[in-house]
Amino acid sequence: MEAHLLGLMISAPSEKIAYATGLLKCAACAIIVFFLSACGANKVIVEGDFPTPIMTPLPLNIGVWYPDEFRNHEFTDMAKTPQDSSWVVKTGNAQVAMWDVLLAGMFQNFVEMKSAPGHGVMNQVVDAVLIPEIDELQYAIPTQTHVKIYEIWMRYRFKLVDINGEPLAEWMMTAYGKTPTAFLRSDTAAVNMAAVMALRDAGANFVLSFSKTPEISDWLTNMSTESEEVTP
Amino acid sequence: MNSSKLGSFVKVTLLLSTVAAILTGCVNASVDQIVFNEPTEGIGDASIVILGRRHSSDYDTEPEFIECVGDHIAAKDKGIRVVGELEFVNSLYPWFEPRTAPMHPRDIDRLLQQKPVADKMLELNTEYMIWVDGSTERTNSSGSLACGIGPGGGGCFGFGTWGDESNYEAVIWDFTDKAEVGRISTTASGQSYMPAVIVPIPIIAPVQGTACDGIANQLLQFLSEKY
Repeated sequence: MEAHLLGLMISAPSEKIAYATGLLKCAACAIIVFFLSACGANKVIVEGDFPTPIMTPLPLNIGVWYPDEFRNHEFTDMAKTPQDSSWVVKTGNAQVAMWDVLLAGMFQNFVEMKSAPGHGVMNQVVDAVLIPEIDELQYAIPTQTHVKIYEIWMRYRFKLVDINGEPLAEWMMTAYGKTPTAFLRSDTAAVNMAAVMALRDAGANFVLSFSKTPEISDWLTNMSTESEEVTP
Repeated sequence: MNSSKLGSFVKVTLLLSTVAAILTGCVNASVDQIVFNEPTEGIGDASIVILGRRHSSDYDTEPEFIECVGDHIAAKDKGIRVVGELEFVNSLYPWFEPRTAPMHPRDIDRLLQQKPVADKMLELNTEYMIWVDGSTERTNSSGSLACGIGPGGGGCFGFGTWGDESNYEAVIWDFTDKAEVGRISTTASGQSYMPAVIVPIPIIAPVQGTACDGIANQLLQFLSEKY
């Protein structure tokens, strides 16, 4: 009995020491991981829900072709000084999600093309095909601007072509989104929110400007004239 | 409960109340209002929506502030249906985005010319649209605070202080008459402190919360038959 008790008295402190050493190692690992994580780039995969536009759909049968650069669009900005932080912002998935919802609500018929429009290419029959491209993306965070808002600015280049790939119109459009800093909101969450706002703004700008773009306006007039001529 | 237990309970309660009172920074606030055509019998079955203005380049009306005002109104008068900002903006996308939002009550007529928009507005049954414009800014900050960790433990030492100022203006639009029927503005300012001797003790001035309560109470006086 005495020996058993003695054994317990000896083993208990050594277990505690081993347990405490283990805890210290875990804490040290966590601290090292925390500090090393500051060395990597801030990565944002933009995610958001995009509402359907509430409007009378335009009487057009429109197709969309997303080039690979658009579908997989990402913006990279590597830090130039040790004080700066590097950023990788992937907008591709969110772009496709937003434009799919927007165009489906904006036009009477909307399809995603099977392949890029061109001569002799088997594709769906549509009035025209829209090809969006992202020309430029810029961002600003409070550590750069000393203003407590996160900003994303994008410039799109749109091409409207017929099913043979012949150009009908080409125009540029900008979009801007910002979000204020908030308690316990990380930089990455705020940049994501600003990107979602910029995408929503892109949708709003597209709805407002599509019919007013001179080349589109002329094309729409020609389309309606042709349909009137066909209708007896 | 015997008298000694009751005595210690009272002492602990008093101590906690004193600590809570000390740990809250002071806030100065003022509210101004001009209202016309106040509804005398409340707003009935209709709903209201509170929206933040987001068209300025150097600030953004915080969504949390808009939510705070809406929650305050809905909590104080259960009869008032407050449509959430995001729900309203999503259901009328893209007509209430910063780029497209109406800036004057007369712009509502332009929106209602589109049948899908008019139908959705009818479905939401919004009687009052309240636009809130403003933000809470950090006005000053000073002091320094250093924290350290070592084998024997960790701790902080120092003193920091900062000031915040809130400026908000709420404009009330009567949706039926397409007219502005009221304007409420509130300003609040306060100084927060953070002394640290081993443990940092934040003494936070609830500047934005005070501005939220101020503007929401004035809106309640306008909208609610109970106030």
